[in-house]
Order: sequence, then structure tokens, then C-alpha cells
Amino acid sequence: MDTWRKALLGALTLACVVALAACGSSSSSTTSSASSSTPASTSTTTAASAGGGANAAVAKLVPAALKSKGTITVAADASYAPNEFIGSDGHTVVGMDADLSKALAQVMGLKANVVNATFDTIIPGLASGKYDMGASSFTDTKEREKTVDFVDYFIAGESFITKASGGATISSIADICGKSVAVEKGTTEETDAGTQSKKCTSSGKPAVKVLSFADQNAANLALSSGRADLGFLDSPIAEYQVKQSGGQFKLVGSSYANAPYGLALPKGSSAPAVLAALKVLMQNGTYSSILSHWGLTSGAIPAAQVKINGAVS
Amino acid sequence: MATSEQTDRQTGRPGEIEAVPVRHPGRWIAAAIIVVVAASIIRSIVTAKGFQWSVVGHYLFDSRILHGVLATIWLTVLAMLIGILLGVVLAIMRQSPNPIVSGASWLYIWFFRGTPLLVQLLFWYNLASLFPVINLGVPFGPTIVHGNANTIVTTFLAALLGLGLNEGAYMAEIVRAGFLSVPEGQTEAAQSLGMSRLQIMRLIVLPQAMRVIIPPTGNETISMLKNTSLASVITYVELLYAAQEIYSTNFKTIPLLIVVSIWYLVMTSVLYVGQYFIERRYGRGFTRAERATMRARWLALGGASKQQ
Repeated sequence: MDTWRKALLGALTLACVVALAACGSSSSSTTSSASSSTPASTSTTTAASAGGGANAAVAKLVPAALKSKGTITVAADASYAPNEFIGSDGHTVVGMDADLSKALAQVMGLKANVVNATFDTIIPGLASGKYDMGASSFTDTKEREKTVDFVDYFIAGESFITKASGGATISSIADICGKSVAVEKGTTEETDAGTQSKKCTSSGKPAVKVLSFADQNAANLALSSGRADLGFLDSPIAEYQVKQSGGQFKLVGSSYANAPYGLALPKGSSAPAVLAALKVLMQNGTYSSILSHWGLTSGAIPAAQVKINGAVS
Repeated sequence: MATSEQTDRQTGRPGEIEAVPVRHPGRWIAAAIIVVVAASIIRSIVTAKGFQWSVVGHYLFDSRILHGVLATIWLTVLAMLIGILLGVVLAIMRQSPNPIVSGASWLYIWFFRGTPLLVQLLFWYNLASLFPVINLGVPFGPTIVHGNANTIVTTFLAALLGLGLNEGAYMAEIVRAGFLSVPEGQTEAAQSLGMSRLQIMRLIVLPQAMRVIIPPTGNETISMLKNTSLASVITYVELLYAAQEIYSTNFKTIPLLIVVSIWYLVMTSVLYVGQYFIERRYGRGFTRAERATMRARWLALGGASKQQ
């Protein structure tokens, strides 16, 4: 009887714990770190659904393997608001890249499944077939073009942010010698900061301390705790996060190196289909409506630069 | 056969026994199955394209990887030293009859075992968010340490504190288990000889407790070796971070992770050897039965017995 009572008590405790956990997750009103002050944040589907149905000409270009699967798995590192971040429900990836991916998939006659992935695992994941597309604010570079194909779709530069009070004062990337810069692993900012560090040391100045973090949130934390003097990230993200930080951060110095963003695709497969789909979206106005929804019209790519593998560096 | 029969009739003594060693067919069958399975696994690993063994070989002795190995070893050694010393102190505090002292020790162990190691590392690294200026000193007395948190707590110190203090909590429980394993009669006999608590601890209990403390401590050291890879999250340049830096630009993730795994295996194997010798030294005089040496066990597989 004693053992039976103990077992019953244990089961009751377990049931209470599970019930508590279930209660916690059913409340959906808590906002995530990328707060809900984005324009019409709940209506993320409106921009995408305006793209209309599948386009027959584009659907013909889609590789057979992808067509038979019916869904295109899109990887994005959801720590980069407003391009990709976790929505207020706590698990859906939302943002400009997510909307664009869904619209492109629709035109191609597929469904998009946008998943969260660590930034520096996305390109290897494309090469190994784990993902079908990478829409994560990838800068199209010649180095990356060795592993994946890019369809250029946006123009962005790189900007510095710092603490609003008492932060570092620089006017351009040349002034970062001897400072510590927080970047995300695998980004062009990581490479550019490293290149600048070499330039610093060869001209006798102290090297740049490049601190590479697994995601942008960790980099921002290092900046706010003073571990890093500067944060170095893509310009549209920098502007957005300065706005969202509520006066904690500010932009500093001039932006560096305008370069095209590319949608990363496995080499030699779906790039022509995605390019055709993008052109359709630009023609019917979906592209510009997605961009204006997220306040990113200044980065709209000129029609002449919409191409496959158009890296400038 | 005829010879021994003749011997039997002539002298009445028993002839030579035709002794046949006990056959162990089961051992041979089991060995064969394991060898076949192992061979096919090794073959598929060696020939699989994704592993890119040429890239593995290229980066195995890369200077950045080697620096990472040294940093890992350095961090493991120092963190374990802090952990063991702290663990012994905390375990002794737990044994104290003073409720405040043993309570403080309990609280420390509860907190540092109750929070994830990764979260602890992140807190130490971003300590300046909580305490921008660190001011350590004697109350109403001189200040010993004063300065900006980020300057005092460097990345290395953050990793060391995070790993060492966490390890101290786990080691405290292991050392306490060692104390519990020493029969109470030992303490009573020492007390009747008039030894102080500290003398009893130092001369009687601790040396005998070592036999029980060593195997789990070896386990913890091997575990610590791998836990140092968590320091990569706070940008401490140990082995994993060094590999991540390389593969985030050349996208050869799998081969570099294999390089990292090989180095961790090598370092762990060295620790195995060390632990064996330490265990042997502290196990002297305790167990009578000698475990058959490796050589004797291999011979027994072939049917040879010990009495040869």
C-alpha cells in the first residue's frame, strides 16, 4: 500500500508539472525580442499572397526533384530583424526574406517551408541537400559563389552600431583599428573586419579584435555589455535594430561596401527558376509591396542587377 | 595410447593425462561477428565522400587547430584545478557542524548545479551588463580590485570562472561521496587518539577517500575537456572555435568537425592512461583479487589456461 501511494504521488506531481508547462505555452500574447511595432506585424501573409497563383512559364523551369517534392525548404537565420526574425508566436520565421521566399514559391507552384538555422550552417546545408534555398541576407560574394548559386534580389551595405552613450566614435571602417568589433560568424562583416585588421597591422596600428558570435543576438549582447566597442552588421538590419533598441544603440560612421544580397541555391539547379519567379514578382508589384511593408524600399535592386551570380567582390 | 596402457599394467601408476583445453566456441563466434561488423563500418567510413579525408589530413596539423588544442588543454587543467580545490573545500564545509557553514556550501552547490553551464558562461562573459564596475575589497577596509568589468574579466577568465566554479559544485558531491565511503570507525578511532578535526580529515579520511574519489574525478576531467568547447560561444579561441573560424569561410564543415573530434579523442585517450596509473596507486592494499592482465585474457581466448 505504501509503494502504491508513493507511485500515485509521483504520477500526480508529474501530471502537475506537465500541466503547468502546457498552460505556459498556450498564451500567445508575449512579444518576442524583435517587438511587434513592425508595420502590420500580424498581417505578414498579405504581402506574400498578393503575388497571385503559379506562373506556368516559371513552373516549367523548376527542377523535377523540387516539383515532385512540392515544398521548397528555405533556411534563414532568424536573428536578423527585419529581414528574418522569430514572430510573436514564438516559432514562425517572419520578415522580408520569409515573405519573399513564400511569394517566390507561390509563383513557382510550390509551397515554402521557412526554417530557422544558424547562419554559417546554411551554405554547407545547401551543398549537402538539407535545404533548397537560403534566404538569409546573404551578400553575394565571389568566394561564396564557389559553393552555391545566387539570385541577386536586394542591395545593402554594412554599417556600424555602438552604445548610444559612451560608445566608440568612428567615421568609417578605417577607424576601427584597435577596437573590438562584434560580428556574426560566417558573415561578410566578419571577413571585412578581418581584412581591415590586416590593413591596420601592416600600417603599424593595433589590430582589430574581431569577436565572432553564433548569432546576431549574442553579438548585440556583447555590444550592450561593453564587451565589444562596435557592432558590425548589414545596414538595413542596423537601422532597424537601432530603432527597436529604444535608445540603447546608435548608428556610427558611414556605411561600407554596397553589395547585392543573393538568394542562395544549390549549384546548377533551381537558380533560373528562382530568377524567372523574381522577375514576375517585380513586374506585378509584389516585390515592391513586400519591401515597403518592411520599410526597406531604399534597398530595392535595380532591374539591371537582377541576375544570377552577380557578385561585385 | 598403447604406451600408457603398458605403463599402467607394469607399474600400476596412472598414465599421462591427455589434457585438452576447454573449448570456447562461443568466444570465437562472437569475435568473428564483431570483426565482420567493425570491418564493414570502417570500410563505409573510409570510402564515404562526405568525409573528405584529404581535407581532414590538410587541417589536422594546421597551426590554428594546434593553438586551439593547447588552449583547450590549458583551460581544462586550470578549470579542473579550481574545481577540485573548490570541491574539497565545499565538501569539508558540508561536513561542518556549523549550520551556517554547511548551509552556505549547500547553497553554492545548489545554485551552480542548478543552472546550465552554457548560461553560466554567458553570464560571466557579459558580467558588465550586471556590474559595469567591479569593486572588490574588505568591508570598511582597503579595496583590493577595482576596475571596469570587461577589463578585469577577460574572455579567458570568464571561461575559466564559468567552467571552474561549475565544476567545483560537482566535485563537492564526488568528494563528499568519498568521505561517506570511509568507515566511521576510522574517524572514531582517530578521535579516540586525540586528533583534531583537521588532522583527522588530512591524515585519515582524505587519503582513504581518494580511492573512491579518483574514478569519478577522471570522468569529470574527461567531461571538462569536452565542456571547454562551450567556451566557443563566448569567443574564447579553443579547439572548436578555431575550427569554426576556418569552416565559416571555406564551408568545409564536416571535415573540420572530424579534425576536432580526432583531437578530442587523442586528448581523452591520454587522460585514460593517466587515470589508470593514478587509480593503481591509490588502490594499493585494498583488493586482494588481481584482475587478470590483458595478456592473460588474450591468451585465454585461444584456450590457454593460467596454470601454464
